[in-house]
Amino acid sequence: MADSGGSGSTASTILQAKETFEIIQEISRLLNTGLDTETLAICVRLCESGVNPEALASVIRELRRESAAVKAGESNH
Amino acid sequence: MPVSHQNALREDGKSNLNVGGTSNNNDMSDGMASGTTSAALVYKLCSHIIGLSSDVLTPSYQLALRTLSCISTAAIESDEFEVSEKIKKRLVKEKKEEDAVRFAELHQKLKGSIVLKNRWAVLCFLYNLTGLSNKYQTKNGPHGFCFAKFTMTSPLRNVGFTNTSKSYSNQQSRAVSTGKSLCTRTGSEKMVFTSLPSSYQLTHSGGSVDQGHGNLTDSGNGSVCSNSSSSRVAHMAALFSDREKLEGILVPVTTKKVISSQVQKQGSRTSNELGVPLLPESILLREVLFAFQGIDGKFIKMQPGKDKFHIDSKAGICGQVRRQLLRLTELGWMYNKVDKFCESQSYNKTLGLVGQSFVAALQEELSEYYRLLAVLESQLHNDVSTEGTYVSTRSGSLTLHQLVVWTLDPFVRMKQLAALIDSCHGQKGGALASTLYSYLHHADPSIHGLVRHVLSVVVQPIYKMLSHWIFSGELEDMYHEFFVAVNPSVPNTSLWHEKYSLRKTMVPSFLSLSQAKKVLCTGKAINFLRMVCHDHTSVRPRDEQTVRADASTESLFNQDQDSDFQRLLEAIYKETSCHVLKSMFAHYKFTDHLLAMRRYLLLGQGDFIRHLMDLLHEELPKSANMLYLHNLSGILESAIRATNAQFDSPDILQRLDVRLLEASVGDSGWDVFSLDYHVDGPIGTVFTPQCMNAYLRLFNALWRSKRMEYILSGMWQAQMTYSRLLRTLPGVLPILHYCHFILSEMVHFVQQVQYYITFEVMECSWAELQQKVVSADDLDQLIAAHEAFLDCIITRALLDEQSKDVMTQLCAIYDLISKFQDIQTEFWQQGLDEIAANKALESQVNAKTEMGKWGVTEAELEVRRQKQLEFKKKTVPTTKAQLCVLASSYQDMVQKFLLMIADHTDPNLRFLSFRLDFNEHYKSRNSRLQTSFTYQHRRRYVK
Repeated sequence: MADSGGSGSTASTILQAKETFEIIQEISRLLNTGLDTETLAICVRLCESGVNPEALASVIRELRRESAAVKAGESNH
Repeated sequence: MPVSHQNALREDGKSNLNVGGTSNNNDMSDGMASGTTSAALVYKLCSHIIGLSSDVLTPSYQLALRTLSCISTAAIESDEFEVSEKIKKRLVKEKKEEDAVRFAELHQKLKGSIVLKNRWAVLCFLYNLTGLSNKYQTKNGPHGFCFAKFTMTSPLRNVGFTNTSKSYSNQQSRAVSTGKSLCTRTGSEKMVFTSLPSSYQLTHSGGSVDQGHGNLTDSGNGSVCSNSSSSRVAHMAALFSDREKLEGILVPVTTKKVISSQVQKQGSRTSNELGVPLLPESILLREVLFAFQGIDGKFIKMQPGKDKFHIDSKAGICGQVRRQLLRLTELGWMYNKVDKFCESQSYNKTLGLVGQSFVAALQEELSEYYRLLAVLESQLHNDVSTEGTYVSTRSGSLTLHQLVVWTLDPFVRMKQLAALIDSCHGQKGGALASTLYSYLHHADPSIHGLVRHVLSVVVQPIYKMLSHWIFSGELEDMYHEFFVAVNPSVPNTSLWHEKYSLRKTMVPSFLSLSQAKKVLCTGKAINFLRMVCHDHTSVRPRDEQTVRADASTESLFNQDQDSDFQRLLEAIYKETSCHVLKSMFAHYKFTDHLLAMRRYLLLGQGDFIRHLMDLLHEELPKSANMLYLHNLSGILESAIRATNAQFDSPDILQRLDVRLLEASVGDSGWDVFSLDYHVDGPIGTVFTPQCMNAYLRLFNALWRSKRMEYILSGMWQAQMTYSRLLRTLPGVLPILHYCHFILSEMVHFVQQVQYYITFEVMECSWAELQQKVVSADDLDQLIAAHEAFLDCIITRALLDEQSKDVMTQLCAIYDLISKFQDIQTEFWQQGLDEIAANKALESQVNAKTEMGKWGVTEAELEVRRQKQLEFKKKTVPTTKAQLCVLASSYQDMVQKFLLMIADHTDPNLRFLSFRLDFNEHYKSRNSRLQTSFTYQHRRRYVK
C-alpha cells in the first residue's frame, strides 16, 4: 500500500494491504474522524512517509475549514 | 523529514505525478515533484478536500506545506501503545465501550499485518482527528467559579498568547472572528483563564467539526452569531456520517443545559458591585503571589504610609474576594517583616554571633517559604501556558481557595517568626537565647519544632564558646555575648579574683546560676593553673572529641529531659577543681603555710613568742624611731634558732619577717612592732592583701594582750621577790598588800580575756577552717572558708567596727595595767633604794665598829633618819594615793567593760562577763551590774 508504483506485488500482499486499509478505515470510523476513503488513503501514505501526524491532522482540519468556507461562500451566491 | 522532502522537491523541479483520483491540476503538477512524494500527496489532499481549481488551492497548499514542515512537535509520544490506550480511554469516556472493544480488536489485527510501517503515526493521526468526545468535558471545579469565570468578559484582551504556531493562532482568530459559541466569546481570554483550556481545546481540536457544532449550539441557544448560517450547518451535517450527525444533534441538548446554568451564573458574575468587569482569577493569583513576596502588584500594593496591603478599589474584584485577598496578603506582611528584619540585621556590625545565627535560622525558614512560592508560581505558570496544547484536561490548577489552604501552615510559621523577632528586638547573646527559650514551651508541636530548630541554631555559638571555655579556658567572645567576661587589664596576681566575672544579663535562662558559676570556676581554674601555677599539663586526659559527643547543643536547653550537659559540666568542674586543689596542697603546700600563719602571726607557737618577747623586752621600750630593722631581724633570728621554730621548713622561716608599722610621735617600740609573712604566687590567691591585713591586726591585738600578760607575770615575780624584802620597811605593808590585791585582779582579768580569745575565738574557728579546707570542692570554696575564718575571728576578738567601744575600753584597761607597772616599778625602786640605803648604813656601821670607831655619826644617822622619814611620810602615801586612784579607775573601767560585754549579742562574750565576775566582785560595787540581764533589762540598754 505504501508504494502503489511499486512492482507487481503478489496477490497476498495486495490482499493484506487491502485488509489493513479496511481496518484503518474502520478505526477511522470508530473514532469519528470524518475522513473519506481517498483522504484517508493519502494521509496514510503521508504518515508512512514520515510526516508528523499531528501536523497532518491540523492541516486536514484547516483544509476542511477552508473548504467549508468556500462552500459556504459558493452556496451563498 | 518533511523539510528535506520539500527541499528535494524544489530542487527537483519536475517529476511524475502518479496520483490517483482527481488530476485536474496539471499546471501545478509541472512545478510539482514526482509522483508519490509527500508534496504531491499533500497537493492531492488539498485538492481533494477543498475541491477547487488550482489557483485557489495555492495558498492553502502552501500553507499546508509550511505547516507540515515547520511545526515542531512537542513531546509526542512515539509510543504506539500509549496512543492506543489514549484512544481507548477516549472511547470509554464517551461511553462507547463497545467501540473501544472493537478498536482493540482492530488494533490487534493491525499489529498482525506487516503492511504498515508506521503504525503509530497513523494511529496518532487518527486520534488527533477524533471529533466530538471532549467537547463538554469542562473542568468542573468544586465551585461554579470556573464556569462563571470563563463566561466573563475581560477588559484584558489578547493577553499573553503563548502559542507556538501561526496556524493555531490563525485558527483561533478565525474561531474568534466567526464569533460562534460561548467558547468563542471567551476565546480571547482563553490565555488567561485556567479553567478554559479544555473547553477551548474542544472548540479547536474538532476544527470545523466544532464550528459545526458551535453552529448547532448557537442555533439551539438562539444566540446565533452573524456569520453562521443554516446552510453551512446543512453542509456540515452532510459532511459527516449519520452517526456523527446524531451525535451532533445530541450534543446541543447537553450544551443547552450547561449553557443555561452558565448563563445564570453569568448574570451574577460578569461584574462586581461597581459594575467594573471582574478580574480573572489567575490575575488575582498572580497579584497574591507577588504580595507573598512583598512586591507590589498591579492591584495589590503595599501602602506607603501605613504598614498594610491595599487593594486598588477600582480593580474589578468583588467584596468577598477582596476580603479573601486581604487575608492572604497578611502572609505577605509577615514575610515582609521577617525579611526586613533579616536585612537590617545583616547591616548591624555589632550583631554578634548569636544574633547572626538567629538571622541564619530565619533565612532558612524563608528559603522554605520561597520554595513553596516557587511551587505555587510554577503551577500558576503551567496553568497559564497549557493553553492551546493537545494535552488533556488538567485537574488541579490554582484557585484562591487552594491558595488559602496551602498557605495556612506557612502563615502560622511566619507569624511565629514575626513574634520571635518582635520579642528579640535589640537583644543579643545569652539574653536573646533566653527570650527564644521562653517560646519553647508551646503546646503546638509544629510551633514547638520551629522554635526548637531556631533555638538550636542560636544556641550553637553559645555552646561553642562554653565548651571552649571549660575545656581550654579560652574566651573567644568578640561581641561580648558570653556570660563570662574577662578583664584583660588585671595582672596575674589577682587573676582568680578579678580577671573573670559573670555577666549576669547574658546568662541564658536555661542555665541555672549555679551552673553558670561552675562554668566560670572551671575556666578560671584552667587559667589559674596555666598562668599562676605555670602548670600546663592538660586537665583533661581524655580526648575532647569523645567529650563533645557526650553533650549536644540541644542538651543545653533541654535540661528537663536530658541531663547530658549537667553531667558533662559536673565532670569537668570536678576534674579541674581537684587538679587545682591538688596543686595547691601538694605543690605549693598550702596547709603548711596556713599553719605557719597560725603559729607565728596568730601567736600559736608559744615558746617562740615568749622567747621573742624576752629578747625584745629591752629593745622595744625605746622610742619608735630609734629602732632598727636589722637589729630586730637579728633578734628574730636568734629567737627562731633557740626555740622549736627552728624545726620548721626553711621556706616558711624565710618568709617570716619583722615589720615596723608607721610610727607616730610618742610611740614606743611596742606600738610599731609586728611580724610579717610573705606570700606570693598561688598562695597569694588565698592570702590576699586584705587577708594579710587582717592577720596583722590580729597579731597586733594578740601581741598586746600577750604583752600585758608578760608584764603582769613580771610584776608578780617582782612582787614575790621584793615584798619580803620591803616588808621590813615601815608603812609598806599595806601598800604591798594593796598592790598584791590589784595585781591579782588584773591577772585574773587578763587571763580570762586571753582565754577567751585563744580558746573560744581562735581555736573554734580554726577547727572549722581545718574541716572546710579538707572538704573544699574548689579553690573558690577554699578562699571563702579562709575569709570566713578571718572574719569570724576579727569580729569575736572585738577588732571590727562594731566592737570599737569595747576595744577602746579594753585598751584603756591595758593602759592602766602598764601604768600600774610603772608605779609598781617606781615603788620597788624607791623601796629598794631605801633598803639599800639602810643596808649601806648598817654595813657602814658594822665596818666602822669593826674598825673601832663609832658606828655611825650623828649626822649620818640624822640623814638616814630624814630619809626614812621622808620615805615614810612622802613616798608611801603618794604611792598609796596613786595606787588608790589607779585601783578605782581600774574598777570603773572593768565594770564598764563588763557592762558592755554583758549586753553584747555574742553569747560567748556574755559568758566571759560571767567568768570575769565569777565571785560577783564587781557586781557588788555596781548597782547596774546587779540588775539581771533578762530580755527586758537588756532592751533598756539598747544603744
